[in-house]
Amino acid sequence: MCGNLRAKFYELIYMDALANELKARIIESLRLQDITPGQVDDDAPLFGAGLDLDSIDALELVVMLEKYYGIVIKDIEEGRPAFRSVRALAAFVQARRTS
Amino acid sequence: MAARSPVITGLGIVAAPGRGVGAIWDAIRGGTSGLKPLTLFASPRYGPVLTGEAPHDLIALGAPVRGSRSDQLGWLAAREAIAAAEIDFKNCAERAGVVLGCSVGGSFDSERFLTTLIKRGKMHPRPTRFHECVSVVDLVADEFGLLGPSLAVATACSSGALAIATAAEMIQAGEADVMLAGGADSLSRMTWGGFHSLLLVDAAGCRPFDAGRAGTSLGEGAGVLVLEAEESARRRGAKVLARLSGWGASCDAHHATAPHPEGAGAVAAMQAALRRAGLASSVINYVNAHGTGTRDNDLAESKALKTVFGERVPPVSSTKRFFGHALAASGAIEAVVCVEALRRQEIPPNPGFTTLDPAIGLEPVTALRSASLTHVMSNSFGFGGNNAVLIFSQPETPVLTRAPRPTPVAVTGIGVVGPGAVGVREIEPPLPAGTVMAHSCGALADAALLTPNQRRRFCRLVQMALIAARRGHAPDSAQRLAVAMGTGFGCLEEGAVFIENSISKDEQEPMPSRFPGSVHNAAAAQIAIDLGARALNSAPTAGEISFESALWQGMSQLATDEADAALVGAVDELNKYPLAIGSRWGFWNEQTRPGEGAMVASLARSEKTAAPLARVTTVRLGRYRRPFDAAREADWIAAVVDLKNVDMVLSGAKGWPALDENYTAVVTALSKRAGRTLEYQTYKQLCGEFHAASAFGFSVAVDLVRQGKRGVLLYTLSPRGAKAICCIQP
Repeated sequence: MCGNLRAKFYELIYMDALANELKARIIESLRLQDITPGQVDDDAPLFGAGLDLDSIDALELVVMLEKYYGIVIKDIEEGRPAFRSVRALAAFVQARRTS
Repeated sequence: MAARSPVITGLGIVAAPGRGVGAIWDAIRGGTSGLKPLTLFASPRYGPVLTGEAPHDLIALGAPVRGSRSDQLGWLAAREAIAAAEIDFKNCAERAGVVLGCSVGGSFDSERFLTTLIKRGKMHPRPTRFHECVSVVDLVADEFGLLGPSLAVATACSSGALAIATAAEMIQAGEADVMLAGGADSLSRMTWGGFHSLLLVDAAGCRPFDAGRAGTSLGEGAGVLVLEAEESARRRGAKVLARLSGWGASCDAHHATAPHPEGAGAVAAMQAALRRAGLASSVINYVNAHGTGTRDNDLAESKALKTVFGERVPPVSSTKRFFGHALAASGAIEAVVCVEALRRQEIPPNPGFTTLDPAIGLEPVTALRSASLTHVMSNSFGFGGNNAVLIFSQPETPVLTRAPRPTPVAVTGIGVVGPGAVGVREIEPPLPAGTVMAHSCGALADAALLTPNQRRRFCRLVQMALIAARRGHAPDSAQRLAVAMGTGFGCLEEGAVFIENSISKDEQEPMPSRFPGSVHNAAAAQIAIDLGARALNSAPTAGEISFESALWQGMSQLATDEADAALVGAVDELNKYPLAIGSRWGFWNEQTRPGEGAMVASLARSEKTAAPLARVTTVRLGRYRRPFDAAREADWIAAVVDLKNVDMVLSGAKGWPALDENYTAVVTALSKRAGRTLEYQTYKQLCGEFHAASAFGFSVAVDLVRQGKRGVLLYTLSPRGAKAICCIQP
């Protein structure tokens, strides 16, 4: 029970760090201006509303995922669920890295 | 008013499945795809994916040595078409012109220069001489002796079809009797890397309309039609192959690369073509679809087909798997296919299709079949939501199209970015260090007009164009808005960043967001999205007369009532490559300084405008004879301009020194005809030398007219043979 909690705790911290790292990389790779990682909400939509990214930005994120995390996406449909929010993206990166 | 539509008297084609109309039809009949693993260049990241390559050695096939790969492809197709039409231009050179779609231009050859520069640190700029998209047009015009209007249309994948439409309009308007019309594009690392970075390529070869489709296949080639006024064809007893009975253009005004999800723009273009031909959708017997094999295009196109044709969609096929997607050439190649289909009464199949996609619910023709064909339609859609549709008919069908109603056009707004201040420009790596004095617009002062996402996404050239368009757009001007934005070099900066990165990193870490912005029609497309302009959207490119070409296209939309208002203009940007290469070749000096800028003017029909800034009473395009004959040029101008109402000539002199004498001689000859000395002014001392500079000249002419001039002639020559005259009056 105790070990489980600890694992959960570490996972939370880890995911938080990954989310922050992803925010910085999204800002860098998309050349977003006048915005800091702290201003990006974990759950806010990346596309449509929120940062208002578009399909070409999504492709830029595909390149970023390959460059920093070694995750290769050949079909944009594969990445679509991951691009819902920073939290979804972090979970996707985590899953693909450990799988 | 109605007029007989132009006819087709010759065809030429070179593409992956073979060279010549006969060879191509043999491949189509045999169901043989022309796709093979890429060998034209090495692709470290994507590998030898299935691609539609033309023969490597085009010179061995007779193509001239001078010219890029695209130019040579265009020349080969033009030669075949001219031979088939059995036409001799010697006696009708002035009445014969050329409009070709081209979007890759000399990129393939320029990449050799870049590779040497980046990998070996050596600067050998010779291969860049034919970089411009208009290069193929100049080559074809010069080699075959054409002196009529000449320009290229660079609207990405719809270029070839839009070029044919533009040529048809020129014939309808009486600007020419014969036009070579089509498109030519070679493969290049730029478009290769670009389409791959957008995840739009299916390594297994494209499967248009199939449930498992996963992208397109790239290809290359050229298609050329001899388009002729029916009168002219009859006069010389030419064999008529088919009739171009309708053409239509539209813009999605939706997104830089993705089609409108419901195919709204595609519907508008098909309906415009039917309307122009005066045909009901029910008489169309076959549709050659754009059918690239990408998920989005094929779905949107199928929805559009159902909207236009309802329950009874005629037989449809995409021939992309035969050729690969030859970009600007594809619309022209498919036009050749459509004319042959009519002639042979056979419907070409859609190789690559096996499984019906329930979302599409449309099964293309899977095997060649005989059919009674009277009217066939060809669809072409491009980046920027740029759509062009052509309808070809049996020669004997009496199809009438709407005749243009030429009219003076009112200028209702003007927006200018530039001229820039003269200052030192440093040349950056990978080029050898150096400096050039240039007229630079610097940091764009009005960038605040744009949203943060527009500033982030759009390259400098597109930003300049958008700012000029926002300033020049007369907001009360009407619903159906056309955009024609000329450019000489297009988005050089954006393209350079993309391809430098691709070459230096061997295609790793691609830059997908840089590719869509690198197409020549990026500016026109973004203006359309910004202002909701859904009529024609064009990016003509014709060197120094790029602006006048845009002006012609915009005015033609008003004359044919395809638009209520038009935004016309031109834009070009400073970039280290022309700065450095121009320095090396000794172009830049005290007199000739490079410049940049954008100008957009709002146009509306004169009779519908109460208080215009000025009126454009004439615009005419053509080519001059070499050696230059000033008296002949003055005749050419006096034939369309009443010199009584002209006070001044405003010329493109003080750019290329070799042209200055020609300009002066023509002004002298015109003064002689007018019986008084016409005032003579130039504008390039103010804005510098760049291809779009005559757009700035136009804004100066409008100002001069507002200050009391009764008429200003804007006269422009390109060092490669093109010329334009434009008359601006109160």
